[in-house]
Amino acid sequence: MLENMADGAISNGFTQNQIAGYNPPPLKKKRNLPGTPGKLLSLSLSLSLSLSLSLSFSLSLPFYDDPEAEVIALSPKTLMATNRFLCEICGKGFQRDQNLQLHRRGHNLPWKLKQRTSKEVRKRVYVCPEKSCVHNHPSRALGDLTGIKKHFCRKHGEKKWKCEKCAKRYAVQSDCKAHSKTCGTREYKCDCGTIFSRRDSFITHRAFCDALAEETARVNAVSNINDAAAAGNNINYHIMGASLVPSMPPHFASIFKPVQGNHRIIDSTRPEHTLWMNQEVYTDPIISCSNPPPSDYQLSWVLGNKDASSNAEELASVTGVGSQLVSVPSLFSTQTVNVSHQTPSANMSATALLQKAAQIGATSSDPSFLGSFGVKCSSNQVQDGNKYCGLYGTSSISTGLGSDVESSVNDLSTLNQLQMYPSKRRHIQNEDCTTTGGQTRDFLGVG
Amino acid sequence: MERTFFTPKEARYPNNQSNGHYQLEMQSTNQPQSSHTSTSRSSDSGEPCGDGKWASKLLRECARAITEKDSAKIHHLLWMLNELASPYGDCDQKLASYFLQALFCKATESGQRCFKTLTSVAEKSHSFDSARKLILKFQEVSPWTTFGHVASNGAILEALEGESKLHIIDISDTLCTQWPTLLEALATRNDETPHLKLTVVVTASIVRSVMKEISQRMEKFARLMGVPFEFNVISGLNSLGELTKEALGVLEDEAIAVNCIGALRKIEVEERGDVVRMLRSLHPRVVTVVEEEADFSSFKNDFVKCFEECLRFYTLYFEMLEESFVPTSNERLMLERECSRSMVRVLACEDEKGHDGDCERRERGSQWSERLKEAFSPVGFSDDCVDDVKALLKRYRTGWSHVLTQGDDSSGIYLTWKDEAVVWASAWKP
Repeated sequence: MLENMADGAISNGFTQNQIAGYNPPPLKKKRNLPGTPGKLLSLSLSLSLSLSLSLSFSLSLPFYDDPEAEVIALSPKTLMATNRFLCEICGKGFQRDQNLQLHRRGHNLPWKLKQRTSKEVRKRVYVCPEKSCVHNHPSRALGDLTGIKKHFCRKHGEKKWKCEKCAKRYAVQSDCKAHSKTCGTREYKCDCGTIFSRRDSFITHRAFCDALAEETARVNAVSNINDAAAAGNNINYHIMGASLVPSMPPHFASIFKPVQGNHRIIDSTRPEHTLWMNQEVYTDPIISCSNPPPSDYQLSWVLGNKDASSNAEELASVTGVGSQLVSVPSLFSTQTVNVSHQTPSANMSATALLQKAAQIGATSSDPSFLGSFGVKCSSNQVQDGNKYCGLYGTSSISTGLGSDVESSVNDLSTLNQLQMYPSKRRHIQNEDCTTTGGQTRDFLGVG
Repeated sequence: MERTFFTPKEARYPNNQSNGHYQLEMQSTNQPQSSHTSTSRSSDSGEPCGDGKWASKLLRECARAITEKDSAKIHHLLWMLNELASPYGDCDQKLASYFLQALFCKATESGQRCFKTLTSVAEKSHSFDSARKLILKFQEVSPWTTFGHVASNGAILEALEGESKLHIIDISDTLCTQWPTLLEALATRNDETPHLKLTVVVTASIVRSVMKEISQRMEKFARLMGVPFEFNVISGLNSLGELTKEALGVLEDEAIAVNCIGALRKIEVEERGDVVRMLRSLHPRVVTVVEEEADFSSFKNDFVKCFEECLRFYTLYFEMLEESFVPTSNERLMLERECSRSMVRVLACEDEKGHDGDCERRERGSQWSERLKEAFSPVGFSDDCVDDVKALLKRYRTGWSHVLTQGDDSSGIYLTWKDEAVVWASAWKP
């Protein structure tokens, strides 16, 4: 017998049980199945009445692949009738044939009449009464009466049953019940680690989430959509997030994009940190100066400043970026990423120390020394900056102005990460590009 | 010093000064001599108010005093409000605080300047991250905005069914939070995923600065969804009436949908008819309109009535915010501050042409319907769409419901909070 058919996946079940060698047309992902390419049959109509179908008008059509099978076409009314099986003796109606047979025993029929007619031994297949439906054709009839009923309801019927929680509508009550069991229990997990119970808020969050990985995810997403759609409409974002293939992305732009928006480049002439960490001040000039053509990626590093406490804050954000970067490779592995924007405190202390050291060094640095590295901590360093960028073959990390170079663990770790993917980087032409100098410097001081 | 604030009439003092509760007593009766303490609070009018809703009483009094130009009373009430108000307190204190600012500006005719200051302060502290956090959090705890999104998306998807080149013109400040679910629906619903062009028209200057970031996110997300996508932003308009087909990039073979969320109220009242006609000239398949249900424009010339309506609406809004967010929420604070700008704009600023799209004169659904009927006819929301809305509301705390209206005077669907209609969503076709 055919198992219960999932929405749209009718032909598979049909194939297995019924006809060997019958190939149904390929199933598209959506509900409207294409018409059967099918062969033309010359239909010979002959009426054959069977006991259980006394109310109906039924046709006996040759079922192409199993000539012995009797193809029954029921009218919609009959199909949906609940008491299709009628006792010929007393006229009582039953939902199932078995129930009718049980009932008939009670009538003490003579042996002969107890037997079913030979016709009933024949295999019965049913066609959908809806003319435009692919299953209307005998070659695509279904062998299970319950199945054809459900099919008819699902495809051509009114959706009377509704899930309480999500208002999804169903024509078949059992479908609805099955859905209600799982509705709302499904959880969606974003790459950033947040879990959602609501699909719509998950989707909206994902669109704006910083952890949105681009190209590799897309390939998986599209294929997942195609697969998942056959089984239902739920896109398994979880799968997407977890199964990103390790590969080199063409750009890291997408990952690092948020950074440039988040960090303000601090002008060396500005003595104070105006709340940039908490309030994220944005002004257009700053964005424009830090903004490379969109397809390039860029990390904007905020330079430390005289104020130690604000440095710590800065560092926090920078290390926040750093931790993002550090975890980037894992985005392309199968682990779930938890990109935390909070700076782990261990990093903080190490980098804070280094930062302070850099500061101390910077203020006492010999300008000529700096010059010898070809790196000046002011604008117009494209040339030299590029030299260093080129040295590492990788990133050009644009930095803010100021005499303090942010040379910290972040730099190192970042650059290490970035060095893993040298060929894919582009140089950012920018007036501020100094960091690589930091690596060559003694961490205890710029000098 | 108190003398200057107090009228010569005798005063009574409140019994209970904690939590800002106090009682307004009739001035005529027993006046104990011990009443002249430095913490005196009183009013020279009003009935006893036992349920703690002191703010609305005081505020109304003050509004009336301003209309009557009774400067002693104005001073008095403003002083009292100032004493009792706090933007960090309970609902009453907050309302008192923000309305106080608006009333003060009205009384001193400094509304314009105040509004400009508030706007620039907000712009400075505004960023993509903060905006994103704010709007997503708000959508998580309250269906105030998502209601309109779900209804509009449903109407748009139905109207554009079967089209292969879609062009949605989004006139709103929702930072495109409406579109991810639409993109997902486009990607999964149909056999053929249509091409979507999204043109966002930004009205608030605050939003402009983050649109660049938003556009990148949206493009990325559309790629993720596998939807061919194009994104444009139009900003810097002085008024929506300046929009033209060419400016919007409308092409002949596109199926247009116009989505106005909280946009029509930004238009100066006199220009609203023109904008409706302009929208008609774009030949859209569907126009979705979502607005907050309040009437700030009918009584432009009657300050007290206008004030009453403002008070009613914002009381509802603040209460809704209080019940939706956790008490310590920063996002709620920011939303309340946004309201303060609107209040100042509506109550204390003169409407002038050429304003930067910051008019906040809301109208009720029935009023908008009247305007829209000049050029469009209403499209009812389908049952599926209404079901989606119902399902959406179920996901939030209790108190939210919806009301359908189909009729001559108005059409659309209302979101109700504790049985008060607060947001109106509708769909129109030419």
